[in-house]
Amino acid sequence: MNFELNEIVIEERCRQSALTARVVSRAPATAAVTFATDVRNAVRPAAGAADPFGTGKRRMVVMHRRAPFLMACPAGSSEFACCGYLVLVLASNCPMDCSYCFLQEYLADNPGFQVYANYADAFDELERTRRRAPGRALRVGTGELADSLAFDRMTGISRDLVEFCAARDGLLLELKTKTDEIDNLLTVDPRGRTLVSWTLSPPHVVSSSEKGTAPPAARLAAAGSVLEAGYKVGFHLDPVIAYPGAERDYLALLDDLFDTISPARIAFISLGGLRMTPALRTAARRRHPRDPLLCGEEVLAPDGRYRTFTPLRASLLRALERRIAAASPAIMRYLCMEPPSIHRRVLGHAPAPAAALGAALAER
Amino acid sequence: MSDVDVAQAVRAWAEPRRLDRAHLERWLALDSYSAAAVLDAVCHLRLRVGQLQGALGMLEEIALVAGTQVSDVLARAPLKRILEGVGPAPARARAFVDELRAMRFPRLGRALERMKAEVAALKLPHTMTVALPKDLGSDELRIEMRVRSAAEFRDSLRTLKEKADGVERILELLGGGNSTQ
Repeated sequence: MNFELNEIVIEERCRQSALTARVVSRAPATAAVTFATDVRNAVRPAAGAADPFGTGKRRMVVMHRRAPFLMACPAGSSEFACCGYLVLVLASNCPMDCSYCFLQEYLADNPGFQVYANYADAFDELERTRRRAPGRALRVGTGELADSLAFDRMTGISRDLVEFCAARDGLLLELKTKTDEIDNLLTVDPRGRTLVSWTLSPPHVVSSSEKGTAPPAARLAAAGSVLEAGYKVGFHLDPVIAYPGAERDYLALLDDLFDTISPARIAFISLGGLRMTPALRTAARRRHPRDPLLCGEEVLAPDGRYRTFTPLRASLLRALERRIAAASPAIMRYLCMEPPSIHRRVLGHAPAPAAALGAALAER
Repeated sequence: MSDVDVAQAVRAWAEPRRLDRAHLERWLALDSYSAAAVLDAVCHLRLRVGQLQGALGMLEEIALVAGTQVSDVLARAPLKRILEGVGPAPARARAFVDELRAMRFPRLGRALERMKAEVAALKLPHTMTVALPKDLGSDELRIEMRVRSAAEFRDSLRTLKEKADGVERILELLGGGNSTQ
């Protein structure tokens, strides 16, 4: 996949790094490469740009990360069933442009696409965390603030990461993506310690709301390939958008999934309804004024987010859950950012505590 | 009217009423047929500024979802009937906004109607209220009873127990039972 990139800004102190060498040698001809002592301005919203967030997506900043690489998932909250995911921040922002993406709010003040030349320091942090929790299965993902594989052809980070995790017990790496950029993954042996997960949406949602992403069939084909190469695979039907005809389309998507990947080989499927804070909704509608899927029947829920009104959302999630269970009751299913009562109505039981759910997912 | 005339007429309506800049710009950004149709509706129904702001947002969203123009939405039969109807303007203005909301949230409207009918069918005494969550934004039902004595309290509990099946049916609907699609 060729993502649009207008500019690459490299922090001067990272000039000699291996990542810089790879990025510069593989940069598209259209991207101007510059060096700067201070890259803070390159990360911030571009002054005068009509769409500062969109402009940030097309400006890659290779820089030294000063903050820790490892953090708790920002979606985690006492209000929702939580899967205990740890986020490894190796990049920030995404070259694709999904209209519903929470990064439009979360990264509004620093939208430049950051990649960190000192990413090897993240391995030290991971190792320290692993040693502090002996015997505990850790599930770590890089796909929260960025797509895990979007620029992997340029950065090559996935290979180092997969090899690092392959050599360590008790660590499950999750790479989350909407691309089919798997070439680097196919060159390393994950030894069963890396899971690649795809967010899946019906073609109608992809064409309306997921600009620049791989088509659903390409995502499924990529999943089939990495599975054969020894990776685990999982899928996120999240966000589920409740447009008229959504149930039919999402069920057809699940049928396509199970036709491509044997249900017995799927580590998990997560489900979650579309949700947007008022600020995200405003930003999303401003940036994507022609996307009708942002004008669904969402109402303000008790958690302060806009969500599809409850009976419709629960009914849709339950229909999907039933289809998954019919394909194989053994597939692990969980809901993301849904309140416990919806968990009970959709899955028929109360949500597991975060630690238990996280451990179960790590062991899949 | 030419595009310029429409823009002038819209400004002439907006300025004395201090319509905020964001809404004025959105109104002027509509195609001229649509901008003129909105102005026509606003004048016919004597919409207040707040009603115009809400109506404009819903009209844009209905048009986007339907893949059409705002002028086409305003030409739909239910809205046309209200616009061309008789009666006091404030009542027609309220009916207009209600109809827009029904068009903007059709499935929510149907679900709400069904649940309100279920609540009415409980035939609860006036001392008891079953309140649906606002806009069905959650699955929590609020049941309120007003009592002043132990006897009233026992009577209310007995009544509620008698209505348990109906209440359970409403809770089931709130949780997405019996398709609302």
